[in-house]
Amino acid sequence: MSGPDNKDFEKLAIPLLDGLYNFACWLTSDTDEAHDLVQEAIVKALKGFASFQAGTNFRAWMFRILRNTFLTSRTGLERRNTTQQDEQGFEDAVISPDTPELAMLRRADAQLVQTAIANLSPVFKEVILLADMEEMRYQEIAETLDIPIGTVMSRLARARKQVRDQIIAALGSKKVVGIRS
Amino acid sequence: MNCEWQEKIGLYVDGELEPPAQQLFAGHLQACANCSDSVMAQEQLKKAIRLAGKRFSAPPQLYSDVRRQIHPQTGGRGWLQWGLAAACLLLLVMLGLSWRFPLRKEDSTIAQLVDQHVTMLASANPVDVLSSNKHVVKPWYQGKLPFTFNPPELAADSPFTLLGGKLVYAQHAPGAELVYQVRQHKLSVFIFQAKDIHDQPPAANHAFTVKGWQQGELQYYVVTDASKEDADRLQSLLQEANQT
Repeated sequence: MSGPDNKDFEKLAIPLLDGLYNFACWLTSDTDEAHDLVQEAIVKALKGFASFQAGTNFRAWMFRILRNTFLTSRTGLERRNTTQQDEQGFEDAVISPDTPELAMLRRADAQLVQTAIANLSPVFKEVILLADMEEMRYQEIAETLDIPIGTVMSRLARARKQVRDQIIAALGSKKVVGIRS
Repeated sequence: MNCEWQEKIGLYVDGELEPPAQQLFAGHLQACANCSDSVMAQEQLKKAIRLAGKRFSAPPQLYSDVRRQIHPQTGGRGWLQWGLAAACLLLLVMLGLSWRFPLRKEDSTIAQLVDQHVTMLASANPVDVLSSNKHVVKPWYQGKLPFTFNPPELAADSPFTLLGGKLVYAQHAPGAELVYQVRQHKLSVFIFQAKDIHDQPPAANHAFTVKGWQQGELQYYVVTDASKEDADRLQSLLQEANQT
C-alpha cells in the first residue's frame, strides 16, 4: 500500500540514493550487488519507517541500515573476516608539513586516489567515505557506524594517513616526506 | 616542529573544533608556517578523496526500482507517469554526467581550473602568499615555476585588488594562481606554459565566467563569478603588463 508515510519516506530517501549507491559500490566493489544492496536497504527502511523518530537524523539512519545490510550479506561477512588493522597511533597520522608532500598530493589523479581508497580495509574505507564523500560530521558518522566519536576520529586519521602514504609511495618519492612515528 | 596544535589539524580541517578554538587555530595559522602547510596538505587530501570517491551515480533503473518499492501498487496511468519521469531522469542524469565527466581533454582542463577556483573560494587559506603587493607576490614564485610573468600594476582607483597567489597544477603542469578581488567577487588568474596547457574555454560554460588567451609562451585563464566585463578588464590589464 502506498500511503502518506510512503510519500514522506520517498521525499527523504530519494535525495539520498546517489550517496547510498556510491557508498554501496565502494563497500561491495560490484555495481550489481550495490544496486541490490540499496534496494534491500530501502525495503528494510520502509518497513521500519513507522518507528523512525521525526527530527532525528534520517541520513545517518539510512546509511546505518545500508551498512548493516551489507555486513550481514555474504560479501559483507567475507570482508569482516579480513584482518582489522589496529587503531592505535592516532597521533602518527598527523601529516608532516613538508611542502613537497603538498605538491605530490596535488599531482595525484583520481584513479590513483580511487585505488588507494579501494585498498583500505573495510573499517577505514567506510569512515573515510562518510567523512569526505558524504561530508558527515563526526557525530553523524558515530551514529551511522554505532561507534564512539573517539573511534571515528582515530579511524579517520588512520584512513587518511593510509591513503596519503599510498599516494606518496605510488608517486615514487616517499623519501621526501617525514612521517612522525 | 613540535607545535601543540599539530594534533588538532584534522579536527580543524573537518570543522570539528568548537568555534572559539577554531578561531584561535585560524589565528595561529597566520604565525605558524608548519601548521599552515599541514592544513593545506590535509585540505588537499580531503579534496582529492572527495573528488575521487564520488565515483558512482545511481542509475535511472535504481530510481525507478526504488520508487516502485515505495509505491508498489501503481496502475496503468502510473506506469505512464513513471515512464515519463524515468525519461526525464535519464535526460537529467545524462546532462549531469556530461557536466561531471567531460570527455574532451580541454573540457577536463577547464573543469580542473573551475574546481581550483571553487576550492580557493571555499578555503580558509585561499592563497599561499598573502599580499596585495605585486613586488611581493611575483618574487615568491621565483624558483617555484619554470617561467616568469608580470602581475599588472594596479592604479590607486582600480576596482581590482590583488589578494595573493598560490601554486597550482593542471594536467600535471605547474602554474600560478593569482587571486584578485573586485567588489565582493573574486577572480582567479591561472598562468601556465603554453606548451603544457593551451586549451580554450568552451563558448558556453558553467556558472562561472572563464576566459583564456595565449600571450608569448604563456597561457592565461581568468575564472570568476564576477561579470564578463570585469574579466575582460582584468584580461586587458594582464595583457598590457606582459607586453614584450
